[in-house]
Amino acid sequence: MAEETQQPAEVTLTIDGETVTVPREMNLIQAAAKAGIEIPSFCFHHRLSVAGNCRICLVEIEKMPKNQIACSTRVAPGMVVKTRSEKAVKGRQGVMEFLLINHPLDCPICDKAGECILQSHSFHYGTGQSRFEGEKVHGDKQVDLGPHIVFDAERCIKCTRCIRFCDEVTHTHELGFFNRGDHSIIGTFPGRRLDNAYSGCTSDICPVGALTVKEFRFKQRVWFLKNTASICSGCARGCNVYLGIHQNRIWRIMPRESEAVNKSWICDEGRLSYERYQIAERLADARSGPMVGTAAGTARPLMPRAAWEEAAATLGEVARKHGGASIAAITSGHATLEEQAALAELMRTLGGTRTALPVHERGEDDGLLIRKDKTMNSRGALLIGGVNARLDEIVAAAAKGEIRALIVLREDPIGEGGEEAGAALGTLDLLLTLDWRVTPTVRASDLALPVCAYGELDGSAMNFEGRLQLLRPGLLPHGESDPAWRPLYEMVARLGGEPAPQSFRDAFRRSASRPGPLFGLDTPAVGTAGLDLANAKEP
Amino acid sequence: MTDGRAQTLLLKNLHRSDSATLEAYLQGGGYRALARALKEMTPEQVVEEVKASGLRGRGGAGFPTGMKWGFMPKGPGPKYLVLNADESEPGTFKDRLLLERDPHLVLEGFLIGCYAVGCHHGFIYIRGEFVRPYRILLQAVQEARARGYVGKNLLGSGYDLEITVYRGAGAYICGEETALLESLEGKLGHPRLKPPFPAQVGLYGKPTSVNNVETVANVPMIVEMGANWYGNIGRPKNTGPKLFCLSGHVRRPGVYEFPLGIPLRELIYQHAGGMLRDDRPLKAVVPGGSSVPVLRADQIDVLMDFDSLAAAGTLLGSAGVIVMDDSVCMVDALLNLARFYAHESCGQCTPCREGTGWYVQILERLERGAGRKSDLDLLLDLSDRIQGNTICPLGDAVAMPVRSYVTQFREEFEEHVATRRCPRAAAAAPGRA
Repeated sequence: MAEETQQPAEVTLTIDGETVTVPREMNLIQAAAKAGIEIPSFCFHHRLSVAGNCRICLVEIEKMPKNQIACSTRVAPGMVVKTRSEKAVKGRQGVMEFLLINHPLDCPICDKAGECILQSHSFHYGTGQSRFEGEKVHGDKQVDLGPHIVFDAERCIKCTRCIRFCDEVTHTHELGFFNRGDHSIIGTFPGRRLDNAYSGCTSDICPVGALTVKEFRFKQRVWFLKNTASICSGCARGCNVYLGIHQNRIWRIMPRESEAVNKSWICDEGRLSYERYQIAERLADARSGPMVGTAAGTARPLMPRAAWEEAAATLGEVARKHGGASIAAITSGHATLEEQAALAELMRTLGGTRTALPVHERGEDDGLLIRKDKTMNSRGALLIGGVNARLDEIVAAAAKGEIRALIVLREDPIGEGGEEAGAALGTLDLLLTLDWRVTPTVRASDLALPVCAYGELDGSAMNFEGRLQLLRPGLLPHGESDPAWRPLYEMVARLGGEPAPQSFRDAFRRSASRPGPLFGLDTPAVGTAGLDLANAKEP
Repeated sequence: MTDGRAQTLLLKNLHRSDSATLEAYLQGGGYRALARALKEMTPEQVVEEVKASGLRGRGGAGFPTGMKWGFMPKGPGPKYLVLNADESEPGTFKDRLLLERDPHLVLEGFLIGCYAVGCHHGFIYIRGEFVRPYRILLQAVQEARARGYVGKNLLGSGYDLEITVYRGAGAYICGEETALLESLEGKLGHPRLKPPFPAQVGLYGKPTSVNNVETVANVPMIVEMGANWYGNIGRPKNTGPKLFCLSGHVRRPGVYEFPLGIPLRELIYQHAGGMLRDDRPLKAVVPGGSSVPVLRADQIDVLMDFDSLAAAGTLLGSAGVIVMDDSVCMVDALLNLARFYAHESCGQCTPCREGTGWYVQILERLERGAGRKSDLDLLLDLSDRIQGNTICPLGDAVAMPVRSYVTQFREEFEEHVATRRCPRAAAAAPGRA
């Protein structure tokens, strides 16, 4: 170690005539990228060990007789690298041509088309023609590798990224390399299935269309998808993701590179979490009107403003008659920070004394990404949501008549609590629910306000490590749905508080206006990469 | 072995029918070198002696053995010597002879090598198809262990050495040293990226040196007779005795021992008895195993050593001398080779995996008369794109013969195209039965 620290941290070299100074642990692909020069690669992945098998990154280095592969060559002081010399180009074009001779070239019907590295490098580094006239080697199509992954052996270029992923990231070792020569094939070891919790990532890192995700394949042409940079709502990790959206629908979720949170990966559950938002019945269209007051049998549609008026009036009345202590709230780790802050402010305005945060835990933390806390923002709720009671305490207090009004934000205490909760909450003067689904709690509510589902709203959330991140919308809000902070702040305004914010950014700033780790923050500071507030101290 | 018998050093014990036994080996002075190394020399002195002898690796690359051992780090900590007994190069059968007929010579050389590099556990990786040599070698290791040449406290020197013999599963590529190490570790025989080289990161991640069977068989005589004596055999920088494997259209195929630098013509016409049939003159010679560039009949006035053959545009390689008379169709011969390499390509890296199969398809159509003139340049161009661009030397090992066959015998390839048939397939067919 001592020896290493004596060496300079950076080295200067020349790539295609450009002088570049980079950290000395960089390889030539990374160094060239820093100079704005692309050295193509297939098998190299910055999160995986170097395999050096595809050979597309061949470059010429002065004083070395043979072309070298840039992925496995570390930078060295004074190194002179040529990526466009005749020798380098000839080697690279050779690799490009070799890769295509046995490839089916079925781009028109390939799911990877449009985001395929083979296609892209072919465009940039190929010659546009092949001298191959023979019979292609044929391989198995549609090999079922596991619950989510299908393999096409003919498209595979044997880069082994998938194998290395299962060896080095998940440590599950399902995949291996079999046979020899141009009959080489990847596959699962005998008796194994590719069924680890992150199997979808093998498709993400597959440079070609060999590994595809069953739930997405043949659904959409990727070039029609608009990718929204957001975060996953599936657990307390808050993995950075892209929502692939077309025609106002999420078709897939892909990991978005994040050094701090999820590296290049997401779990299969998170990847497929959009499916749960594609339910048939949304609250905004549960009854014919845009807004509904529900309570079984008495449903009547309301316009939003009328609903806000009615909710505020009823809450104000309960507070006057029974005192603030008779008003409770159930906040949620599924809600955004702005929504939690708005609910907390409404509770303060009403003098409400009890707020609970239901726990949604399943399984165990897995040491990679998956957290047993299946809410994206429980840490935010604990920080800003005024949580001071347990859910069962509130249900018990309601059963005893101590609580007369309950505000439920994105939770379903009746659906999850069963008959006992249903009986207790059925006796309230006001059960006010804000949700996007039609849950048993919504059905039992006196007033239910439709709110945006995931993907429809701007918001912020704090992951379990204290990292504040932004959710971004790619979908139009369903019907008259709003982010929950809007009706909650409108109620605050009607109960004598400040006027409601009119934009997400205003709502965010209002959450950050109270003393605490968020104090004074604005959304640009959070950005797409998030902001680490773990070490921010309470004032 | 006719007139060379008097000078045989590597094959000196082979005149005895019981040459593989410990008894016979000891009677010939066996294990004296091991005793000398252990008792009278430090490991460094052994390395220096081998360096001074000029011994170059007999596996094909001709890298100086002493220098290779010198790359091994000094000091404690596990390190390994591995014996490459995976002889698979077409036209090569010298290591097999040593393993079957004089296993103790190989073993003694290997044991001395282990001592020289400071290795306490040596591995012998033997080709899977070598069933008989494997049994003989195992027997030899047992005999040596019983006599205290293997195990704890060798010959009372305080040096401990364990030996493991490991059988390969039948892949040419496992003769490549890093693929061999992968295979030895129980993994798929895929060559490793270099650097790091085995001397830094080898078997089980530890410093490792890999030596060929014939190479280590030279070590006992170097230790016993000294580097000066050894260095006088052969030619400058190409010292020592060498085994040559003669095969093909010669009267007396077999393994011959001569000092490095014997003229190829003499080897073929004098020692191997000349051409098999008087009416079939020499056409081509592959001097160093199937991977090296081929020579035409008019190019055989060359000395059989590393540097002379390199100067002649080919390589000594494994010294597998494949002799072809004029009945051979060079397109067909090359197709045969290409099929071998396509079958044995490990499939790991693109140019070799895809290029070898492409070669086969081109050569198949040339041989059946469906080729085109442009195919010849295509073959040459593919060689340019494979050679030097692959993980391991297998790519070069096929690109070199393809380039040389097409270049040296271009008119024959062109004839296939022009006449739309293989001239020899038809002509030779009746007589071949």
